[in-house]
Amino acid sequence: MSQEYATQRQSGGVTRRRFLTGASALASAGWVAGSAGGWLLRPERASAATPIKVGIATDITGALAPFGNANWQVAQFVVTEINQQGNILGQPIELRLEDTASDPKVAIGNVRKLIQEYRADVVLGGITSAMRQAIKDPIVNRGRTLYIYPQLYEGQECTKHLYCTGPTPAQQCDELIPYLIKKQGRKRFAMPSANYVWPQLLNKYARKVIEAHGGEVVFEEYYPLDQPEYSATIAKIRVGKVDCVFNTIIPPGLQPFVKQLYESGFQRDGGMISCLYYDENLLNYHPAQEMDGLFSCLDYFQSIKDPFSEGLQERYNKMFPGTKYLFTAGVASTGMYRGIKFYEAAVKATNGDLSREAVSAAIDKATLASGPGGGAQMVPGKMHCKMNMYVARCKAEGNKTHYDIIGKYDMVDPKEC
Amino acid sequence: MLENVVTFAFDILSFTSVMVLIVLGLGVIASMMGIFNFAHGEFVLLGGYTAFLTQDAGLNPWWGIVLAPLIVGLIGLLLERSVIQKFYATPIIAMLGTYAIGLVIREIIRSLLGGHYKSVSEPWPGFFTVGRLDFSIWRTLIIAITVSVIIVSWLLLTKTAIGLRIRGSLENPMLARACGISTGQLYALTFAYGSALAGLAGALIVPLYQLSADMGLRFLVQGFLSVMLGGVGTFEGPVVGAAAVGALAASLPWLVLPVLADPLVFLIALAFVKVRPQGFVGKGRT
Repeated sequence: MSQEYATQRQSGGVTRRRFLTGASALASAGWVAGSAGGWLLRPERASAATPIKVGIATDITGALAPFGNANWQVAQFVVTEINQQGNILGQPIELRLEDTASDPKVAIGNVRKLIQEYRADVVLGGITSAMRQAIKDPIVNRGRTLYIYPQLYEGQECTKHLYCTGPTPAQQCDELIPYLIKKQGRKRFAMPSANYVWPQLLNKYARKVIEAHGGEVVFEEYYPLDQPEYSATIAKIRVGKVDCVFNTIIPPGLQPFVKQLYESGFQRDGGMISCLYYDENLLNYHPAQEMDGLFSCLDYFQSIKDPFSEGLQERYNKMFPGTKYLFTAGVASTGMYRGIKFYEAAVKATNGDLSREAVSAAIDKATLASGPGGGAQMVPGKMHCKMNMYVARCKAEGNKTHYDIIGKYDMVDPKEC
Repeated sequence: MLENVVTFAFDILSFTSVMVLIVLGLGVIASMMGIFNFAHGEFVLLGGYTAFLTQDAGLNPWWGIVLAPLIVGLIGLLLERSVIQKFYATPIIAMLGTYAIGLVIREIIRSLLGGHYKSVSEPWPGFFTVGRLDFSIWRTLIIAITVSVIIVSWLLLTKTAIGLRIRGSLENPMLARACGISTGQLYALTFAYGSALAGLAGALIVPLYQLSADMGLRFLVQGFLSVMLGGVGTFEGPVVGAAAVGALAASLPWLVLPVLADPLVFLIALAFVKVRPQGFVGKGRT
């Protein structure tokens, strides 16, 4: 530790502010500030082998901090485990973090540091699509580096050497919507949405699935992200005799909508809500009774009972006891886990060749036998992966809520590119 | 059909009350002291945060409603005595200064919350039923409290000795001082009162929304529009303005695309102000 402190003081590149911002996220031992800002984790055991450089670019500060910090913790968790289990072919992994600060303009400069100064072998990160669009050019095109994007998203990202490890609209809709129509008898859907790219493209896909299965979309509407008032929407839901609300409104507009919908007696009169990004984090965003009966569809829930996922969850909680940033699917924890594991598998397949072309060709055919919620398999030539998907229903008991797993669907196709 | 109309009307009325409640404190300070408090949204946030803290500490949630105006009023008083009183001569600097204060409060709360959103539950949850219709008790209570706060504030201003002094200082501060009225003290009191109203508004509305650092920000612009629309310099003006903005914002999404509703509210308000620059309620009180 002392030697690394020395490095930090010599360089003088760490501002007090950056130090304070990062320090809380970096409570675990072994982490030091890098030479020019950013954060670096050196492998624990000194090793003659040169480390594999993994860059993480995610939102540690700003509006998306809860997502970014969860991602960063998962990255530390996975890399620490890999290094403890004997590295990749004897080569340890070194992690370097740059904050994208929930702001694409800030992000571009910081991401360039990962590429040009740090010379990362692979970059993982980005939460919003706006962020992915902003940083993919400095990474993939000009930076000639492999990029892995971990978050569930609206699809249609088909850039070579850019791999998406989160669920796509097809994976989230193809099982859930037929289930809602056939098993739950839903016919009339409403699509209240936040006005940005994810809801718009997701709704386009969901509408096709709904109509193909004999359902009907009563209305599809977009609201400013922080709209505080939904009287007109509630009135349309009532007048339109909607029996399933397919929600893509996000915080901060989300909570007033859910409350007004609940107060209107929608659920009590037999209405249902489904929302594709609801994970265990969101459970604290609403009073329990408003969440009861909500359907979600993700690649992992904490209530999944398989020994691997349970062990993973337990070890993560042990590494970050009492953390605010849970290991859940909605904040891209699963995508980050898969991303690093796919990279590990690919480097093993290339026998330690870290060149982008070689690793990329290997990831394209990579398979993970296990992971949170189950294994995953890249679809060759498509830059997206097959994974298990789960339909879950939120259950409220008193003030507590949890997800009951309703259905498991094996190796659902991403249907992208 | 009639049921739908009644519930829609109730929803609009409830949001209108929220708007009025938020704008009251802003209007009192703008009209009585001639400065726009850009930290008003953050005073609302502080009220909400107080409610969250009392809930978190396991206290009876009604304490939040009682403590919020007291605590935020006290913070307002301290800020007025230390910083804001230096701004009275320069209203533009006052806007920038209060904006900076707001920014500091907002970012402190953001780091205290870790960027997360928190749900605060109503002290009195549930519904009451009239015929076949359900109404949220808390929203009804907000409507009732808003009406009582308006009445109390109006009585305070028009029927009490202190109200007379405030009106006197507003009309002619020089003359008021010459008559032995301590205008500085009155301004401090008025600012604290406006802040307390913001705190009360925050604690009352936070169960309807999420507690997040940007909670006050989203009402700020609409709040200023209300004051402008209603007319500065009177007590009634901002109240009427807020009612108009609230009702428009809640009902327009029924008629036009929701994303167009916000800009349309602005357009209507700007057009109105162009035609009637003094606002709904003419000039200062006579």
